[in-house]
Amino acid sequence: MLKQQILIVDDEEINRVILRGLFEEEYEILEAGNGQEATVQIENNSNIVLILLDVVMPVMDGFWVLEYMKTHDLLQKIPVILITGETILDSDDQAYAYGVADVMHKPFYPHIVRRRAKNIIELYQNKYHMQERLKEQEEAIRAQEKKLREGNEFMIDALSSVVEFRSLETGEHIRRIKYFTRIMLKYLMKYFPKYGITPAQVDEIARASALHDIGKIGIPDAILLKPARLTPEEFEVMKTHTTIGCDILEKFRGQQDDEFYRYCYEICRYHHERWDGNGYPDHLAGEEIPISAHIVAIADVYDALVSPRVYKSIYANNIAYDMIMNGECGQFSPDVLECFALAKEDFFNIVEVIKMFDFSS
Amino acid sequence: MSMVDELKDLGANVDEAMQRFMNNAALYEKMLKKLPNMMKGTQVMDAIEAGNIEGAIETAHTLKGVLGNLSITPLYEAYTDIVTLLRQNNADKAKSILAESFPVEEKVIACIEKYQ
Repeated sequence: MLKQQILIVDDEEINRVILRGLFEEEYEILEAGNGQEATVQIENNSNIVLILLDVVMPVMDGFWVLEYMKTHDLLQKIPVILITGETILDSDDQAYAYGVADVMHKPFYPHIVRRRAKNIIELYQNKYHMQERLKEQEEAIRAQEKKLREGNEFMIDALSSVVEFRSLETGEHIRRIKYFTRIMLKYLMKYFPKYGITPAQVDEIARASALHDIGKIGIPDAILLKPARLTPEEFEVMKTHTTIGCDILEKFRGQQDDEFYRYCYEICRYHHERWDGNGYPDHLAGEEIPISAHIVAIADVYDALVSPRVYKSIYANNIAYDMIMNGECGQFSPDVLECFALAKEDFFNIVEVIKMFDFSS
Repeated sequence: MSMVDELKDLGANVDEAMQRFMNNAALYEKMLKKLPNMMKGTQVMDAIEAGNIEGAIETAHTLKGVLGNLSITPLYEAYTDIVTLLRQNNADKAKSILAESFPVEEKVIACIEKYQ
């Protein structure tokens, strides 16, 4: 390790010699005969742990050095002990106001100068290193958090995909719903501040959207895998996937009582509700439908339209778009439809959009 | 007698100064030998006479710091008073103290120069 440096700034050699004698065994001593030289030393040396600064000097005085250090934000990092020949205390106040660590008066009392200097060096080193350590810890925590979040997301997606694989799909639906949900929320956040959506919430809702059909795990094969349109009775059973999803979530809830859980629950339960109140299971209408579920609903409907189903063929992007805008496929709120209109191109060009947005976070 | 002993007789607090120099007598003496050069002539008096009070204060202030660190106590005290008086615009009183301290100053310088 580099030897710690102490910078002695005094125009009188005799004073510098005395101070050097006090510290040269333990520290590398740098000297400056005036303020100008002091700043050169400060610029050229990176390991200065203390500056002993005389006030009255030719060329540039001690206060000039303090001013320099203040404008370069150095007083937080390098402690300054002002060494003054003044016996009056006026300049002490001025010095402390600048943020010097201590003021000492000539003639020096060597033991006191040494003791105080060491204390101050230790104090500042601890403070400085503490900040460094805190920063490192914070970064470590953030990295850990990211890993946890990714692990979490992986588990959620895996769990959600179980349902899809059971109905012989590929798992792509889950991925697309998350993308669509995120795109919709980005527009909602930008153009509809009244919903108070934050970037963190966008993230949580998008992650929660993966779970929207988790309740389908409780639907019998005969209905879930039926290669034809469902009868009205079968459809009633199918509708229960919303409440079954909530039952599953409730069982796993444990200590979870945060926003993310709330989004999961809302999305599972209300992603088939309609703005006009004709949806299921609770027949919520208008503003009663949580925005999270309403956004996932439009994403789900669009994806269903453009994907093949046993009972229908694929609709073209623009046809699906028109069907939703015309209200043929479930009623959505004017705000959500406006977002959908804004997001139209992004939905159509989903492949390119996936590349453009950073979905990894 | 050594230089340090002689200065002690002139009122210098040699023990205190030795502590300050980490008991390095050679270093203390080396620094003492720089004093005659610094105190040469009558710089402070000249500055006062010329009406350059700022300059007088600066020089007296520097001498005060050095004399204090070298523990030449009588002169340190004199220059402390001189600085204070000059700051209070009491040049006459400062001059009289300066005049009073000249003999001591001469003795101290003569003593140090003897060993140079």
